[in-house]
Amino acid sequence: MMRPVMEGTSVYHMILDPRDGRTVYAAAPSPAEQWGPAVYRGPLGGSLKSTKGAPKFDPESGLAVSRIWHVEPGTPQEPETVYVGVEPAALFRSRDRGDTWEGFPALNYHPGRKDWQGGFGGLCAHSVLVDPRNPRHLLVGISAVGTWESKDGGATWAPKNENVRAEFLPNKYPETGQCVHHLVWDSAGDGSIFHQNHCGTYHRSPEGGKWTEVTKGLPSDFGFAMAADASVGHTAYVAPLVGAENRVPPKGQLAVWKTTNAGRTWRRFTKGLPGPGAFMGVLREGLSTDSADPTGVYVGTNTGQLYASRDAGESWKQITPNLPPILSVSAGTAL
Amino acid sequence: MGNRLESRVPSEDLARSGVLVRIPSALLSFTGGQDEILLDAADLASVLARLDEAFPGIGDRIVDEAGQLRQFVNVFVNAELIRAPPGRVALSPGDEVHILPSVAGGSLG
Repeated sequence: MMRPVMEGTSVYHMILDPRDGRTVYAAAPSPAEQWGPAVYRGPLGGSLKSTKGAPKFDPESGLAVSRIWHVEPGTPQEPETVYVGVEPAALFRSRDRGDTWEGFPALNYHPGRKDWQGGFGGLCAHSVLVDPRNPRHLLVGISAVGTWESKDGGATWAPKNENVRAEFLPNKYPETGQCVHHLVWDSAGDGSIFHQNHCGTYHRSPEGGKWTEVTKGLPSDFGFAMAADASVGHTAYVAPLVGAENRVPPKGQLAVWKTTNAGRTWRRFTKGLPGPGAFMGVLREGLSTDSADPTGVYVGTNTGQLYASRDAGESWKQITPNLPPILSVSAGTAL
Repeated sequence: MGNRLESRVPSEDLARSGVLVRIPSALLSFTGGQDEILLDAADLASVLARLDEAFPGIGDRIVDEAGQLRQFVNVFVNAELIRAPPGRVALSPGDEVHILPSVAGGSLG
């Protein structure tokens, strides 16, 4: 059964809190784009309301949150903690389900910030990773700035972009400036991470350090959407696009590609997906997986079509062709 | 001063008491449905501050944390579109402040 929620609102990201399987969080303007960003919260199946407060920069900083890009729950041990990544790039945390917020000054007011330029979509902190083993271990992905990591609860941050290409810069392997598009934890649960970039796809081992490029076998360097299998380690799904200047699937065939070995090899899945002659994109939050066995995989396009696979990507069925551009697809288990 | 919309506030009260603020439909949830608010204020910044005191949270929808009017929120004083910082916009009793969403803003989908 489908019904509209927050009808008419551009919802950039919406999740079902996996910690209770009942609470929905959403990042959206309140009540419309003109009136500024907000975090919404409500019960699954009910109506969502904006929380008492929205994340804000310090007034003297001269910065102002223009959009909330991503909502990330804290660890299971912190059931009321929620993080958001915002534009212009910053990270905030709430300890009370979104009613009040605190920033991370070392990141949000980093002295290098004056040189952060942002990508085509804006200077956005779009990926937030909270280590389920250790809540003091955080990572943030920022477009055209790179990946940043903290191991002390956000008190200090370091760029972590070794071996990630930046083809649009004179130095192809700078310390910062890479256009990271999406970061997700590898479900192996050992701290390894999948990374979709403007310039390739990457994986980082549990030891940290350099990223390993795993683009070989994919049709392009470029894409936004990425989802790790919720249960099976070293397994992830991506939806490559032709490139920055042509954000449609290669050969006019929507395809979801899957790795089961941390990116060493990839398989292409198209059965039931539109094409040839299909020229639409999949936005950053447009792929999701569930925890069923076999894994359910979901992909939404910027032309408003939603597809689902019940067999871990092998085949797909259209759920609906009749939505507005899909900004966020999120699967969860209701409790 | 240009054409005025009709107000439920008697004109003599308006001229004597202060500034009439017209609230857009998007923000009526903050004011309990009141679309006209009469305030005593000498400048636009004071209007916004007093609105927020009376209806907590409404200020954040109009002005961002850097003190700037949100990009796609238009504030008119009488018929004049305001671009100056709110603290520099002086008001007189009888002025009308219109808070309106810009037609340039809106939903992506």
